[in-house]
Amino acid sequence: MNQVGRNIPRLEVRAKVTGRADYTHHVRLPGMLYGKVFRSTMPHGRIVNIDTQAAKELPGVYRVVTGADIQKLIPEPYYGPAFHDQPILALDKVRHVGEPVAVVLASDPHVAEQAVQLISAEYEELPAVYDEVAAMQPDILVHDVLKPAGTFADLKHLKGRGGTNVALDYHLRRGDADAAMAKADHVFEHTFKTQQCLHLAFEPFVSVAEPGDNKLTLYTANQSPSFVRIEIARLFGWPENRVRVKVPYLGGGFGGKLYIKLEALVASLAMLTRRPVKIALTMEEQFYMITKHPTTFRIKSGVSKDGKIVARKCEVFWNGGAYADIGPRVAQKSGFTAAGPYDIDNVSVDSYELYTNRTPAGALRGFGIPQLVWAYESHTDLIARGLNIDPVEFRRKNLLRDGRPQASGTILNDAAIPEVFEAIVKRMNWNAPFDHGAGTLKRGRGIAIALKAVISPTTSAAIINISADGSITLFTGTVDMGQGSDTAYALIVAEVLGVAAEDVRVIHSDTDVTPYDMGTLGSRSLYHMGNAVRLASEDARAKLRALAAEAGLPEGTNYPPIEIFKKRFGMQAGNIIGSSNFVPSYTPPDAKGMSENVTPFWMVGGSGVEVEVDTETGHVRILRLVNAADCGKPINPAVAKTQLTGAAIMQLGFSLSEAMHLDGGQVTNASLADYKIPGIADIPPMESELVTAEQHTGPFGAKGLGESGTFGVSPAIANAIHDAVGIRITELPITAEAVLRALRAKEGRPLDDE
Amino acid sequence: MIPFDMVEPASLDEAMGLLDPEDPTIRPVAGGTALMLMMKAGVFQPSRLICLHKIEPEFSQISVTSAGELRIGAMATLSQLEHDANVAKLFPVLKNGMSRLSNPRVRNVARIGGALAHGDPHMDLPPMLTALGARITIKSPQGEREMPLEQLYAGYYETVLQKNELITAATVPPLGARKAAYMKVTSRTADDWPTLGVAVTFALKDGAMCDPIAVVSAATEKVTRMVEVEKLLQGAAAEDAVLNRAGDAAAEEASILSDAHGSAAYKRELLRVYLRRAVRRALGQDTRQVA
Repeated sequence: MNQVGRNIPRLEVRAKVTGRADYTHHVRLPGMLYGKVFRSTMPHGRIVNIDTQAAKELPGVYRVVTGADIQKLIPEPYYGPAFHDQPILALDKVRHVGEPVAVVLASDPHVAEQAVQLISAEYEELPAVYDEVAAMQPDILVHDVLKPAGTFADLKHLKGRGGTNVALDYHLRRGDADAAMAKADHVFEHTFKTQQCLHLAFEPFVSVAEPGDNKLTLYTANQSPSFVRIEIARLFGWPENRVRVKVPYLGGGFGGKLYIKLEALVASLAMLTRRPVKIALTMEEQFYMITKHPTTFRIKSGVSKDGKIVARKCEVFWNGGAYADIGPRVAQKSGFTAAGPYDIDNVSVDSYELYTNRTPAGALRGFGIPQLVWAYESHTDLIARGLNIDPVEFRRKNLLRDGRPQASGTILNDAAIPEVFEAIVKRMNWNAPFDHGAGTLKRGRGIAIALKAVISPTTSAAIINISADGSITLFTGTVDMGQGSDTAYALIVAEVLGVAAEDVRVIHSDTDVTPYDMGTLGSRSLYHMGNAVRLASEDARAKLRALAAEAGLPEGTNYPPIEIFKKRFGMQAGNIIGSSNFVPSYTPPDAKGMSENVTPFWMVGGSGVEVEVDTETGHVRILRLVNAADCGKPINPAVAKTQLTGAAIMQLGFSLSEAMHLDGGQVTNASLADYKIPGIADIPPMESELVTAEQHTGPFGAKGLGESGTFGVSPAIANAIHDAVGIRITELPITAEAVLRALRAKEGRPLDDE
Repeated sequence: MIPFDMVEPASLDEAMGLLDPEDPTIRPVAGGTALMLMMKAGVFQPSRLICLHKIEPEFSQISVTSAGELRIGAMATLSQLEHDANVAKLFPVLKNGMSRLSNPRVRNVARIGGALAHGDPHMDLPPMLTALGARITIKSPQGEREMPLEQLYAGYYETVLQKNELITAATVPPLGARKAAYMKVTSRTADDWPTLGVAVTFALKDGAMCDPIAVVSAATEKVTRMVEVEKLLQGAAAEDAVLNRAGDAAAEEASILSDAHGSAAYKRELLRVYLRRAVRRALGQDTRQVA
């Protein structure tokens, strides 16, 4: 039976559309208290006083908790994946508007909400810094001293460092970019910026903690339950086995629900009160939890007269907000591909993660890559135009191909860059004459292509249980948040063990029973967990064969498993447990940022766009959006395709309409009413193409795909606008007003500022 | 959301009796689509909401009177207006304006009365109905009165209604041979509230525009008639030179505000362009997809 490659609906789809799927929001426990967070209104300040008296006196309030109470339970109540810099509740200082300062607990969530309004806090205001480039100067310090978590070897040198907002500086030096630039025939230099936006999952953050006898159970909407368990155990000084983390389905994550979010807070509150505690954020509160890095990217290229890029220098400033979260990983792990999918002998990259007084920033569907692609694919297009070379021809000449070293020095392998690029070119019918429109409606087209390395090294473990009747259960820590991982793994198990995917039961994300997984992030799961699932299945298959031999059956017996168990144990009894730990090989980068083995696999994604620009209003209508990505050999092609489409739609919002607006550190549009994500009427005609290749080290040739559809969308739009009307937008989002302003500036009759 | 009382009166008189002109925390609620947003944002915390659903049947009719006027009950939903056969036949401009007014889920519950009384300038029905010369019927414990819709708005989120008054109906005079168009312009997403709304109606006599009504909304603090524009259009042919002058006059006379949808400078440009496009649309000469 051939299971891998079948187009099957997601296994949980019926439960979801009939409203029976489990979500953390459904959890209600006896004696449960609801917590409501009192948040800072000050972007940066010393806490002088927190007045909770009136809130405590409100009938129905069980308790009001501040940072000082947390500290009685945990003397050093700081958490985070890269730095232990984030207090469970603010202690001496607040560092961004919206930072949790106190929590009201009540049996009635409405009482808790009302009581929060009775709390007041007094701060000594400190000067604040919001801009990533300004934060390079140590004039205003968000943290007095850096506190790396120790999890990552390359952050250890930052321990105890003070007088800086730089939470990580990553440098790559390949060849001699300065020397090559000096000799180049042409030099191009541009600066691009991206805005602060956010994940905005339709299931806002929610966590429940239940204290037990010598243990604690967390029910939480989280993408990395194993990390939560380790971090909670660390905070309490417990062994891991006293913490249980259960994650049902997620209503979207996109990188927002990674590492620790509300978990340390509800866990502490449950331990303080010895009662179950639930905190569920509103849609509006999500704007103060985690966001996507705003960036400034200065990019400079030297090009020879025949159109070959000979040198590229990249300076990237990542606005990480008040707490590091996973920002330092973003700055480094994305940093080494900042020069793009091009074969360039001389590259220098400087990538800086900066603390500022904004909502923290983390990973958002692309782990920093979409910000980089926005810059390097806009820049690459400008070079082609500057040299009067067709943008497709220029890229073709410079594309990186298998067998050539990427900027890090790692030889490219199983990366279908030319194939993806040509697939887009073909669909765009690039060589045919193009109608550029007339009058006030001008048309243009643009293209963009990108490369991403999966985060490494990371580990996944899986367990297969074959019951005595032959039915199979898979235990995996991957969180299925809509991407279809349960279904993909069922197909892999079914392929190895010769059953139908629909008959495999998948138990996910309960750390009491599911083994370790680094996290559901960065398109890593299908490759890492997929390999682990395959290995565990093969282990179980080998053990089943051994069991048959023990039962005296000949090799290659056609006895079904239930008969083998009966023969061996005399009745329907016993189990076979197959297991695996999968971690790919990896070589950490050296002092120059070079490594011969920087990633186990590469992702390739790109877009082609046709637009129509209304030159009187600046409105841009997308007439066509083509997306293509290298998907290896797809496990479930129908689901893979929806990943590509969904990612492109999400990036469309980040390209055209989504932006958090700040006024004095306060988000002025913290709601779906004023932070506009695309609606159905905004979706252009779309085509998604899975470019089938083979990832030789992947499970059945597959690789991750969750992010690839985001990469090319924004620069392809900007490139198409340039093609249509000759203006260049360098800052996201591309609003109609920005386009009209650029048009009018070009015509020499600029619009007034206000 | 903090708990509050919800009462469901069975008659209009009972509803008005429950309203208190002195207490701003007591408000009527029809579809609730706007009010709920304000409550979720904490901008409005009611002590009591007067839910009008039980008096709905009597006030949710849409009919054409013997004089040819369209009478829209205040409790009619926006979807009703969108799908009403008489509206489609007699006032296509109203029907056409509905498809981009928020989304079907909102249109299925939002009511005409609420859409008019809310006073948020970023709405679509008030400029459309103002340009159509609609009148509203208002009831209070003191009795019933009627006024032109254009006199309802006093400022940003402000109307001349007393807190114990309710709109019971809107009446639209027959359009006859008059031309009409409403242009909704958004700057973020398609189902957004408008950045700019422009509505025009006029008669045509020997190729010249007569008795024009030109209305701007969303970019201004309230729905506003553009009298200078109307003077320019009166008696003129719809030629580019005239429409460009009218566009300039519109940008000159309207008090345009900056907000999250865009700067005032940008919206002035939009108004200049869309005033012309609205007239063209009314004449069936502009069929491009509206941004």
